[in-house]
Parts: sequence; structure tokens; C-alpha cells
Amino acid sequence: MNRLPDLTPENSPLSLVELIYSTRIREVMTSEVITIDRHDTMRTAQERMRDNGITGLPVVEGKRLFGIVSIHDLISAMQIEQLDSAVERMMTSRVITLEAEMPLSMAISYFSKYPYGRFPVLNARQELAGIITVRDINVTLINRLLQEVSRFESLMEADITPGLEMTRVFHTRRHDFEHGGHASTTIKKHLSEHHVDRHLIKKVAIASYELEMNQVVHSIGGTISYRISPDKVEILVQDRGPGIEDVEAALTEGFTTADDWIKSLGFGAGLGLPNAKRVSDEFYIHSKLGVGTTVKAVINLGEKR
Amino acid sequence: MITIEALTVPLQGKLLVADTIGRPVQAVVASDLMSDVLVVTREDFLLVTSLASDQMIRTADLVGAAGVVLVNGKKPPASALKLAGDLGIALIVTPLPKYEACLALGSALAGRESTP
Repeated sequence: MNRLPDLTPENSPLSLVELIYSTRIREVMTSEVITIDRHDTMRTAQERMRDNGITGLPVVEGKRLFGIVSIHDLISAMQIEQLDSAVERMMTSRVITLEAEMPLSMAISYFSKYPYGRFPVLNARQELAGIITVRDINVTLINRLLQEVSRFESLMEADITPGLEMTRVFHTRRHDFEHGGHASTTIKKHLSEHHVDRHLIKKVAIASYELEMNQVVHSIGGTISYRISPDKVEILVQDRGPGIEDVEAALTEGFTTADDWIKSLGFGAGLGLPNAKRVSDEFYIHSKLGVGTTVKAVINLGEKR
Repeated sequence: MITIEALTVPLQGKLLVADTIGRPVQAVVASDLMSDVLVVTREDFLLVTSLASDQMIRTADLVGAAGVVLVNGKKPPASALKLAGDLGIALIVTPLPKYEACLALGSALAGRESTP
């Protein structure tokens, strides 16, 4: 499998694909395996399973795998009163195995293909190297995904260049009034630090804040991205829905769909979009019900700097 | 020139967060609606409000207000106090209702104009 491009919002599902192809089974499996010698009795197997709270044991001699004894084999042995027989006589000897260097995707496909809860894993010398269960896979994938998400978030929050020029993406969450406005405050501070004209900063701040709070108040969440260059600030807000039913109406002063709770917080006066549009030099809005809303607002910095 | 600190006297208020820059107050805006505050074009004004929230502080900062006056003795949440400190927005709390607070500020600012 070729190396996929770096993680970006556009290809995040691919990053999951990359994850399961680039992770080796050896990184996921449990290497400390509780086993049973092939000459031991089924009674020993029963005790070992009971003491360790497990439902299957690889049958070995040294490091060589001979089979697996499962709880089903144990029940069969009990039924025919063979608990004192050697494990190798009662075990399942046709065992499907995986190899330590195989990609994790192989293990996932085996679990959907075969009705087993675990597979022994062999190393290159065909010795028992570990055992892999669905739980091992889940735990690994969740941990890796959490790492990826953290990395992704820090990537988005980080400045790309130290000067005025900057590209930055923030996230908003529905009704998160505690963090709502953080993006706008940060951008305003950045522009002030780079001595942008106060009036222009105010225009950016107003457009940004109205659009940001619109997302917090009305959408189910989304992103607000800024691209700052010496001549302009571009603000791109994209949410995941629910979309605006009547964009024309939403751009009319006083039109609001906010409820009393939102109004009690000082929002929802029906001035948000008109306000943002008023201070912007370019303003573009597109909305689709059930899909989401995209707004692009541009404030030129050129003339006053 | 009248500073925010000096205005705590006619407001019978308490300065919870001091103004770091010492900007003179040029005007007063009274509103509980963010969008109404955001259309105010002048800066260095004092925002009189009964909304004791983080968002009022943010709004004040974004429009370049000098400070916020909380009326009716409203207690701001700790997060709003911290935000005001971080953003350098002065915060006064006054026991006066909004109308009386505006009157008090009005005469204090008018007094400034008559005695240069």
C-alpha cells in the first residue's frame, strides 16, 4: 500500500484506511499468551481457563503451535468424560493463524470472515508470538484515533507563519457559549499585534464574531477559518447543518429564528448576518437545508494600512 | 478627561477589573443585545448592561469598548472576570438599576464637559 498524503479534513476517512494498513498485527496483539502444553490434560486446560478467566488456550510444545483448545472443546470432553485425556486429542487442530508482520486490516477481515473470537499470531519462524482479539483491535484503534484527533486539533490551532499572514481554523460547537467568540477574539488580537488599522480590525471583529456566534446559536457546529494576507482578511465559515430555509429573509434586519433562551443571552436579534454583511467588502452565502451553510466574508486591508 | 476608575464614584460601584490602559471614557452605550453593541461605530465607550456573561465581555472587546458596567449589582461569573482581565476590559459592578446608572454616567460626563 502506498503511503497516503498527510491528514487533512478532505481525506480523514483515508487516514483511517492508512491506519489499518500501516499498523502491524504485532503492534496490536497480546504477546504474553497463556498457553497449554499439548501433553497436558483437558482438566488442566479447564483449570487454566477458569483461573485466568479466558475462553481459549493455544496448545503448544515449546513455541510451536499445535492447535487451540476452546470452551467448546472442553464441553465436548466433559460430555464424553475425557477430562483426563491429553489436550492434543481433544483440541481443534486446524487453526487459522495470522502473522505478526501482516497489516491490521488482515486481522479485521479474518474476524468478519471466520466465526472466531481470537486468532493465534505466528512470527516469521512460525512460532507462537501472540494472540489477537477483537478487543485488542478496538482498544488500539480508539487510542490511535484519539492521537490522530489531538494531532489534528493542534495542527489546526497552530499558527502557520509568525507574521501578519496567517491561515487558521477554529471549531465551534452548538450552544457552546463558553468558547463561542474565542476565534474572533484571537484574530482581533493577532491583527492588533500586527498594527492593522483599528477601524479595519473592528470590521473584521464584527463580521467574524457575528458569523461565529451564528454558528454557535443556530448550527450543529462547524469551522471558522481565516486567511490573512497583507491586503485582506478572508473569513470562511462552514457548518454541518441544519441549513437556512430562507437566506433572503435571514439577511433581513430583525428576522430571527432564535428562541427565548438564546435571546435572554443577548443573541438572536436578527442582526447577525446583516451586520456581518454590512462591514464586509465581499460577502457570499450559500445554504442548503439538511446540509449546512457556508459564508465567506472578505475585509480588505489594502487602503488603510 | 474622565477615567473609568473615577466613574465608580457616581456609580457607587466597585471596580472588579481595572482598566489596564487608562483610556478616557468618550461615550456610554446601554444595551443587553450583542448585535446592538456591535453596530456602535465609536470606540472607548462604556457598555452599561445587565447581562453578566462572558459574551458581553467579548463583545465589548471586539468593538473596542473601554469597559463594562454591570447594573443591579449583578455578580459576574468567575470566567467573565478572568476574560475581562485577559482582554484588558475594565469591569465595574454597580447596585444602581440601568436607568439610574445611565443618569449617573450622563451627569458625570456632562460635568466633565462643562469644567474642562
